[in-house]
Amino acid sequence: MTSVVTIPVTGMTCAACSSRVERALQESPGVESANVNLMTSEATVSFSPAATSAETLVAAIRSTGYGAELPVAEHSEHHRHETDDLRLKLALSLVVAVLVMLLPMVVAPSGALRYLLLGLTLPVIGWAGRSFFTRAWQAFRHHSADMNTLIAVGTGTAFGYSAAVTLAAGWFTRHGIPPQVYFEAVVWIIALILLGNHLEARAKGKASEAIRRLIGLRPEEVRVMRDGREVTVPLQTVQVRDEIVVRPGERIPVDGVVLSGRSSVDESMLTGEPVPVEKGPGAAVTGGTLNELGVFHFEATRIGERTVLARIIRLVREAQGTKPPIQKLADRISAVFVPVVISLAIATFVIWFDIGPEPAYLHAMVAGVTVLIIACPCAMGLAVPTAVMVATGRGAGIGVLIKGGDVIELASNADLVLLDKTGTVTEGRPRVEAVHGLKDSTGMLQLAASVEHGSEHPLAQAIVMASQAAGLQLEPVRDFRASPGRGASGLVAGRRVLVGNRQLLLDQGVPLEPVPGETVQRGTVVFVAIDGRVAGWLVIGDPVKPTSSTAVRDLKSMGLEVVMITGDNQATAASVAAEVGIERVFAEVLPEHKRDAVLRFQREGHIVAMVGDGINDAPALAQADVGIAMRGGSDVAIEAGAITLMQNDLTGVPRALLLTRRTLRVIRQNLFWAFIYNLVGIPIAAGVLYPSFGLRLSPAMAAAAMAISSISVITNSLRLRHA
Amino acid sequence: MMAKLVVTLVGVAAITWVNWYFLIAGRRSRNS
Repeated sequence: MTSVVTIPVTGMTCAACSSRVERALQESPGVESANVNLMTSEATVSFSPAATSAETLVAAIRSTGYGAELPVAEHSEHHRHETDDLRLKLALSLVVAVLVMLLPMVVAPSGALRYLLLGLTLPVIGWAGRSFFTRAWQAFRHHSADMNTLIAVGTGTAFGYSAAVTLAAGWFTRHGIPPQVYFEAVVWIIALILLGNHLEARAKGKASEAIRRLIGLRPEEVRVMRDGREVTVPLQTVQVRDEIVVRPGERIPVDGVVLSGRSSVDESMLTGEPVPVEKGPGAAVTGGTLNELGVFHFEATRIGERTVLARIIRLVREAQGTKPPIQKLADRISAVFVPVVISLAIATFVIWFDIGPEPAYLHAMVAGVTVLIIACPCAMGLAVPTAVMVATGRGAGIGVLIKGGDVIELASNADLVLLDKTGTVTEGRPRVEAVHGLKDSTGMLQLAASVEHGSEHPLAQAIVMASQAAGLQLEPVRDFRASPGRGASGLVAGRRVLVGNRQLLLDQGVPLEPVPGETVQRGTVVFVAIDGRVAGWLVIGDPVKPTSSTAVRDLKSMGLEVVMITGDNQATAASVAAEVGIERVFAEVLPEHKRDAVLRFQREGHIVAMVGDGINDAPALAQADVGIAMRGGSDVAIEAGAITLMQNDLTGVPRALLLTRRTLRVIRQNLFWAFIYNLVGIPIAAGVLYPSFGLRLSPAMAAAAMAISSISVITNSLRLRHA
Repeated sequence: MMAKLVVTLVGVAAITWVNWYFLIAGRRSRNS
């Protein structure tokens, strides 16, 4: 048995931090998999409860130098405490930074001033910046190095030297060295990095707004009928089968089926669809949606973690933590990055010392510290997770559930969209449009409906509905057999009845009857054979959704090839395809062969996005590079696709693909700027511009540049909120 | 002159050690 636990982790500031925690968890005995999300500051661990416990996992995280608490409901409380603490440290550092910068301008340099500056700097380095040192030390003990290492070595060197000058000014003066101190650099670096952390924490908060908004859709109190009276109870106490009353303007608390009353329900928060949906007895209602004007009673069918809303929240949360393959590049680079930067800083020191102007060791130290500070790979660590987080949050807001960062990358590269016809391009609620019995139409319909009564296939349901509309009584069926993609058969009143397509009849050796061409054009022809002979056929039509052709046009304008696939006959498929503007069609494809069609396109080198309803095309959705499931009437789809469209029409497909394309573009921009920044910043900090232009950076300027690069990456990602 | 030589040698040694400690020994300790 495997348990999964989500543990809030504090103190992680960069990709290297999260990968270190992840590694520690993965190495911990009994852990099957561990995924640490930098943006939500959470570790999600699957483990075997027999071999380890949540407490052991918390201890494993703490051994890496980060904070971890056992999961509690008040995670956001915990998060707020961390933010408040950070804000206080930032405020202190900024006040001291201004003082330390201004004091030497108004007070003449003296031993007393240096002592004053040392006194002001101590609380900043010892309290506000302390965590950088403890984390750097923990990392060092594990043979790893991250941005904390760079900050700790940089500020530590500058502070150590300045403190030595303050305490032993006489010794330095006697040796001809001016008693120069760098306290302002130390304080500014810490202040600016804390500022970056603070802004990052705020961005995290903004990105998880999407989840908070979804959680906020649940009402806290529910009106329930108990013993014939309406009572108000907390949401947690609602049970399955409870009768719940919803009044105008109230949110529907859980999933269920309407028992009595009528109303229109605004489902836009889940589907993005702005038009309210009419609900009457028998209609399914979803928790979190908003009742408009009517009053109705409904029976709770799913509560707690099993509701659609709870599953969406869980999926969005999980998705925000997954890493797209492009992140691996960033991780690999940051693993070797820090040792390389430390080496560069040492080399910078040596070169300035050997060939730099006097006082050589002073310039050497300043240049070395500046290299360490400017190279903090914060922007690189933020480049991918911020974009993934904002994009998945944005997606949830427009009815597009994206299941992870890897999906974003694949979907943005898709070049072929394979559309399943039924329920995707068409309404998926087929209607019997004509009953053509060779002898007795009514009797044939009655027998066909009796067989199909046990089947959940949409065509079967259409036949049953047609018989009910005609007021026919259904007969009991024995020996019912369903043949996927072909039809069904059974014994009704002692007669063997086959209901299905041409293939079913061929399989069973029933001689076919010719069907007029215009009949085939109108829809799917379902043959009915009784005791081995064709008794007639039903024509079942499935109207095309009004938005399908717009969606196909949009997909084509995005440069995508659009192909339709269906189990239906050639003629029906061709007429639907022509109506929506699709040129390439694969008809009469059995559900199990849809997967092969996907495979064939993949072998041709296409990256395939398959769109289906997630019910009978689940294998094809899984085989496709990106499975896009349309929620339609069923909730199965929520888990079926890599992307799930909450709205039941095709326009969600171009919207989803466009969002993933924009996200990948933002990720690429972020990575590009983060790399360029280091590529340009490090040589300047090392002093390559000094010989020709006399240009050098101070450590404090380097800290400012680093903070700016982090902020620009975060801002760029936040643009996706409006994508 | 002597100081420069010493700083250069110490610098080279430090760079070697940093790369050994974080990259080679680090990988070994992670794999073990």
